[in-house]
Amino acid sequence: MNAIAHPLHPSVDTGALTICGLSKTYALKGRPVKVLKDIDLNIRPGEFVSILGASGCGKSTLLRLIVGLDQDYQGQILLDQQPVRGPGLERGIVFQDHRLFPWMTLQQNIALALKNHVMPAAQKDRLVAEHIDLVGLRGFELAYPHQLSGGMAQRAAIARALVNKPKVLLLDEPLGALDALTRVRLQQELQRIWIQERCTVIMVTHDIDEALYLGDRVIVMDANPGTIREDLPIDLPHPRERDSALLQGYKQRLLGELVGH
Amino acid sequence: MRLLSPLSWLISPLALLTLWALVAKAGLFPVNLLVPPLEVWHSFAELLATGELQEHLSGSLSRLALGFAGGSLAGLAFGTALALSKTLEAYCAPLFHTLRQIPSIALIPMFVLLFGVDETFKVVIVAKTAFFPVALATCEGVRAIPRSHFEVAAVYRLRWTTLVGRIALPAAVPAIVTGVRVALTRAWVVLVACELLAADSGLGQMIEMARQMLRIDVVMVGVVVTGVIGFTLDFGLRRLERRLSNWQSR
Repeated sequence: MNAIAHPLHPSVDTGALTICGLSKTYALKGRPVKVLKDIDLNIRPGEFVSILGASGCGKSTLLRLIVGLDQDYQGQILLDQQPVRGPGLERGIVFQDHRLFPWMTLQQNIALALKNHVMPAAQKDRLVAEHIDLVGLRGFELAYPHQLSGGMAQRAAIARALVNKPKVLLLDEPLGALDALTRVRLQQELQRIWIQERCTVIMVTHDIDEALYLGDRVIVMDANPGTIREDLPIDLPHPRERDSALLQGYKQRLLGELVGH
Repeated sequence: MRLLSPLSWLISPLALLTLWALVAKAGLFPVNLLVPPLEVWHSFAELLATGELQEHLSGSLSRLALGFAGGSLAGLAFGTALALSKTLEAYCAPLFHTLRQIPSIALIPMFVLLFGVDETFKVVIVAKTAFFPVALATCEGVRAIPRSHFEVAAVYRLRWTTLVGRIALPAAVPAIVTGVRVALTRAWVVLVACELLAADSGLGQMIEMARQMLRIDVVMVGVVVTGVIGFTLDFGLRRLERRLSNWQSR
């Protein structure tokens, strides 16, 4: 096990995630299938970690375990040294599909995430408004999800996940369903938001550019069973330039490893 | 477009009325069998003036309200249970899907023997007619709630009251209302049919009595009123349905 993780950014001291010996087995037609095997991972407070891998390598399963939607696993998941049991408001998640409730307005959707926080209504309203601002959706408070574009809906989902001020934000291919241009724009937005919020972020993606552009670290996963193949630190301060030579160099290397040319 | 004014819907009923008047005037049928529309209108006014029509109407509608409320509430409860409980499904689903194929009309003879020809039998038939479509729609509506909705609720640690009230219900309600709408129209039709066979009041009974006395004008009044009431009930629920699902993209 690694030494105690140091915060990446001086202002952040919570949100350290430690995963030890994590394994997960599904029963598929009565036969056990191992999707994750002996995952060890130490994530420092405020770190942005990209998890890269082909589909089926268990990377989404890993996020489901961390967020607490699936509690049937072997091994340990610790958030700030405390074991994770079930979902909790200190961990937020954004899925590939926005998962906003179609019968609620944008505002209501985000406010629902605050439902279990004890605080005055006025403060809740302020938080909701702040986060709508944060993702650049001011003016759309009363819009229903079907009135938003895919990119806007995903921004709303990000606002909903952040409104609880989670220590860890989990992103499960959050931009995977968007068109290429919107995706690039939202990657910049994500970088800006993360610099502003400085929570720990774990993003699962299969887009090499995206993983490199955003991650302080890129974890490359192998499939069958899901294991960590490589843990690549990207030593480049944020905000980053997309066409930096360093990132391009890593890209060629990862392409070679993953696709094998 | 000029052809699609808000009154466009009036054209077809007026055409039907005209056709009716013309055929009656042409004398193809004896005048006491195919009564001209104007005379039917007079009979309608007369039935209204004496209060007879209102009496029959309130008889029918109160039976409908009683049977429909009972049947659809039971359907709502059973449909929800059937959707949520694997055990109930295993025990009851085949029976349920068989019973719902039996037309209510086919049960009339048996129900008359069991419950007599009084109020009970009509209310029971209406309840039975309402029960199945509501139960079916509720079951399918509840089952169709995406798992992802529940996952989001879990992530934000929503209490189950919030889960039911703000997520499960709104998700299932449009499907349920559609079932209720189907049930209400069917229940109305079946009720009037029952009253034709055995009743001492109600629209169906009015029609049947008039037929026996060869008052075809009164029969026609009954037929038209039945149609208009059915339309109104359906229209009301259609409005409700649209309001409850205005968040859907269409």
